[in-house]
Amino acid sequence: MFPIYKKELQSFFYTPFAYALAALFMLLFSLSFSTGIAKLEGTNTWAFSFTEMFYSVIIYFIFLIPFLTMRTFAEERKNGTEVLLMTSPVSVLKIVIAKFLANVTVYLFMLLGTAFFPIITAMKGEVVVSQLICAYIGIFFWGTMYIAVGMFLSSLTESPILAAIIGEIIMFALLFVDDFSNTPFISQYPKVQSVIYSFAAQPRFAYFSEGFIRLSDMVFFGSVIIVFLSWTYIAIEKRRWNRG
Amino acid sequence: MINIENLTKYYGSNRAVNHISFTINDNEILGFLGPNGAGKSTTMNMIAGYLPMSDGTVNICGADITKDPVKAKRNIGYLPEIPPVYPDMKVKEYLSFCAGLKRVPVGKRSKEIERVMGLLKIKDVSGKLIRNLSKGYKQRVGFAQALLGDPKFLILDEPTVGLDPTQVAEVRAIIKDLKKDHSVIFSSHILSEVSAVCDRVIIINKGDIKAIDTIENLEKTFAASLVLHIKVKGDKDTAASIIGMTKNVKEIKKIEDEGNNIYSFTVDLEGDYDAIRDAIMSECLKNGISILEIYTDKPNLENVFIELINRPTKKNGLQELLDEIPDESENNTENTETKEEE
Repeated sequence: MFPIYKKELQSFFYTPFAYALAALFMLLFSLSFSTGIAKLEGTNTWAFSFTEMFYSVIIYFIFLIPFLTMRTFAEERKNGTEVLLMTSPVSVLKIVIAKFLANVTVYLFMLLGTAFFPIITAMKGEVVVSQLICAYIGIFFWGTMYIAVGMFLSSLTESPILAAIIGEIIMFALLFVDDFSNTPFISQYPKVQSVIYSFAAQPRFAYFSEGFIRLSDMVFFGSVIIVFLSWTYIAIEKRRWNRG
Repeated sequence: MINIENLTKYYGSNRAVNHISFTINDNEILGFLGPNGAGKSTTMNMIAGYLPMSDGTVNICGADITKDPVKAKRNIGYLPEIPPVYPDMKVKEYLSFCAGLKRVPVGKRSKEIERVMGLLKIKDVSGKLIRNLSKGYKQRVGFAQALLGDPKFLILDEPTVGLDPTQVAEVRAIIKDLKKDHSVIFSSHILSEVSAVCDRVIIINKGDIKAIDTIENLEKTFAASLVLHIKVKGDKDTAASIIGMTKNVKEIKKIEDEGNNIYSFTVDLEGDYDAIRDAIMSECLKNGISILEIYTDKPNLENVFIELINRPTKKNGLQELLDEIPDESENNTENTETKEEE
């Protein structure tokens, strides 16, 4: 399991890939950061909060995370190296977990870059550290959930680009589940609405960004991650059975 | 020892491999021979545990590939048709990744990598990106990967494709050398390669095993049924009956009318050729039939292969063959001629 993890990390960090992704993420983050500061100027009484910024950050994830995950399995298949992994004494489950952990590591690296902004804010102003930590935990869960989704899609196709595009669509849809459940049409049926709403991730993220760490939210994100990783595992196994 | 029983693979309703069973003994090189699309790669993928089988079992050194895949795969080194290399990795980097994947102990890794690189003569490219290597080098890097960790059982799917003649000879020498402490199954559609390297051969076509035997035996079985070509001038029926009645003649396969009372017979023989030839010649002389040509084909592996692949539908005896040639009044004149000679 460890060799695969290591190899994945090498493929990210020995190439400009991880750095470019982290740089792009920082650039986008800085955009929200500067607009956030611009808003502050009128009302100086408020301590600077990253809460609102993190909302825009999860929209950037829709474009960034698929780039991270698109190659995970699609490229292995394209190169013909899937055979190597499948015929080595490592179980498919371990392959999935190793690749997931590698993606999460790169993602943490991306998040680490953004710590730059709270640090310079703290130098010139005030940062509510506890809330910031909560927001980071929330964003960590959100991103890992997207990674699991992206990996699942990558396991379905041979083309990384296709995996990325479909990933963007599905992640976009996931973001707006709660808005969808609040549309007038769905509100006519309260039961349906409550079912759809229970799948909404954004309200759960909101709790984190407001400084609440609730077990139920963590269980929610954890379950989504586990479900998508299991589907990834099943998709790989199923394709082997169907091949031809 | 590797046991393959009843192995079957369906792609949808299309049967790619049909209930094949064989064993690969220790220290044996088994050649897997068949035309393109015969099911070679599918079978190998199933043995290596990449493709699940529709039916049957594969047992590798005591571990079932489906029930205990991790244990079984530890004893396998697999070189697929397309070498499974990462284009973005350097050769040494790639091999060290594979060594980890195959659970070569950390302390032994660099030594093991040096060993396989030396064996396949890829030390000079160890720092190069695999992307920039030629096909032959990629193939050898893939082969090196299969040898890492010294697995007991090697599956090589067309290992010499894309190599130049010197490299082919080298790789063959390596495979032969592996026999000392490995079992090897290797596929090819190049006959000379198989006969040069393998102890036993499996000939497969359209998912069915056509033959499993040593090369000598295959040649012997088919050499026992020599093919005799005789060109005679004279009466066809008489000649046919003479040849047909001769001891050790199995069957007359073909009679061709070449005009001018000349007929070519293609005859399957068994047993001693010299005796048959003498018998036929003396009988023909007695009956006034002159022999213009007489020679035999010795079937080599190539013929065996082609014959097994295209197993011809058998002709139904002599009479049918005779009927194929239009009966002409010439027969009568021939008869009179022979009588006169007598």
